[in-house]
Amino acid sequence: MGSAKNSTSAQRKARIEEMRRAEASRERRNRILTIGASVVVVVGLVVGGVVLIQSQSDKDSSASDSKGSGHFVTGKDGVKTWKGTLGRTHVAKTVKYPMEPPVGGDHNQVWMNCNGDVYTKAINNMNAVHSLEHGAVWVTYNSKASDADVKALAEKVKKTPYTLMSPVEDQKDPIMLSAWAHQRTVKSASDPDVAKFFESYVQGKQTPEPGAACTNGLSQ
Amino acid sequence: MKQVGWIAGTSAAVLVAAGAITYAVAEDGGSDSAVPSAGSADAGFARDMAVHHQQAVEMSYIVRDRTKNEEVRRLAYDIAQTQANQRGMLLGWLDLWDLPKTTSDAPMTWMGMGDMASGKDGSLMPGMATNTDLKKLNTLSGKQAEILYLQLMTSHHQGGIHMAEGCVQKCTVGVEKNLAQGMVDAQQSEIKLMADMLKARGATARN
Repeated sequence: MGSAKNSTSAQRKARIEEMRRAEASRERRNRILTIGASVVVVVGLVVGGVVLIQSQSDKDSSASDSKGSGHFVTGKDGVKTWKGTLGRTHVAKTVKYPMEPPVGGDHNQVWMNCNGDVYTKAINNMNAVHSLEHGAVWVTYNSKASDADVKALAEKVKKTPYTLMSPVEDQKDPIMLSAWAHQRTVKSASDPDVAKFFESYVQGKQTPEPGAACTNGLSQ
Repeated sequence: MKQVGWIAGTSAAVLVAAGAITYAVAEDGGSDSAVPSAGSADAGFARDMAVHHQQAVEMSYIVRDRTKNEEVRRLAYDIAQTQANQRGMLLGWLDLWDLPKTTSDAPMTWMGMGDMASGKDGSLMPGMATNTDLKKLNTLSGKQAEILYLQLMTSHHQGGIHMAEGCVQKCTVGVEKNLAQGMVDAQQSEIKLMADMLKARGATARN
């Protein structure tokens, strides 16, 4: 009995020892898992944060110190976006722009009034670019545009603050719409892309100087 | 094993939550309330009142160039400062809501009054002066400029109050509703002040 008792006690001791070992190893494993999971969460948050911040600063990166060099990229919606630099310096001299009508670059210190202003004679590009900087959409046409379209567009512009309209004879299409760094051609005044362009770009996200005025500048 | 499952589940939940928060912050700039639609009263008022205010700012700058009278220049300064700032708030909200600043709908359609304004000669909404009025203001000086400014601004405020009341009734965003009510109160009191100023100049409001 005594020996049996002893053996049982030894067995129990061994089993307890084993259980303790198992528990210790389970605890160790759980600790590792907890630390591992925490590391994954922290790394995930850090990486996510960095990606988020970088994607935002990428959006903000636009050079503002040169006259403008780059090229247009046409989007699926037909809007051409200028990829490259567009200067924003006020200059008194004549600026030669790499596109017609210009969509940005160095410009005259006086903006062209763009409070729904319709000009029947050509205006100076250097003043118009300043209006684009203030968030205006510039409607331009040449002699190939029909009188009816020109009249209908003028009516729309007159009702839309932060737009202006003028003839630009040497542009490539009859009717073109321009905003800072963006441009498109439309088929007619009733083309639905006119309203879409206005909604996107009149004081739109592309505006380098949100809140700046379209009044008390230059008029014809 | 139960604990392992629990930890794994919790970590997954935390990751999903972190991802969702990151996504939400990246998508809407941290706004946690419902965003108004382009056709809502909230968006419509922000769009239209921004335009309406701009003309008041412009008129006030003009009269400050046309008279040396301290009283009128101070009133004009107050209106220009206040309305330029309020306009910034309205446009800023449209930015936060990612909504356009312009629409093909007639002004005030959001308050069921899309047929209110003629839209002729730059008077895009009720109370707004015409381009001809503004040109005239630019040619007058002294007392004559003061009288025309006070008349134009009285009409402008009347139209503005009417539109602001539309937002007080229909807007759902609290801060915007409060701003609209503030416009109603302040402009009503300014109309009284301008009536007295007109009287002192031997004139009355236009209507």
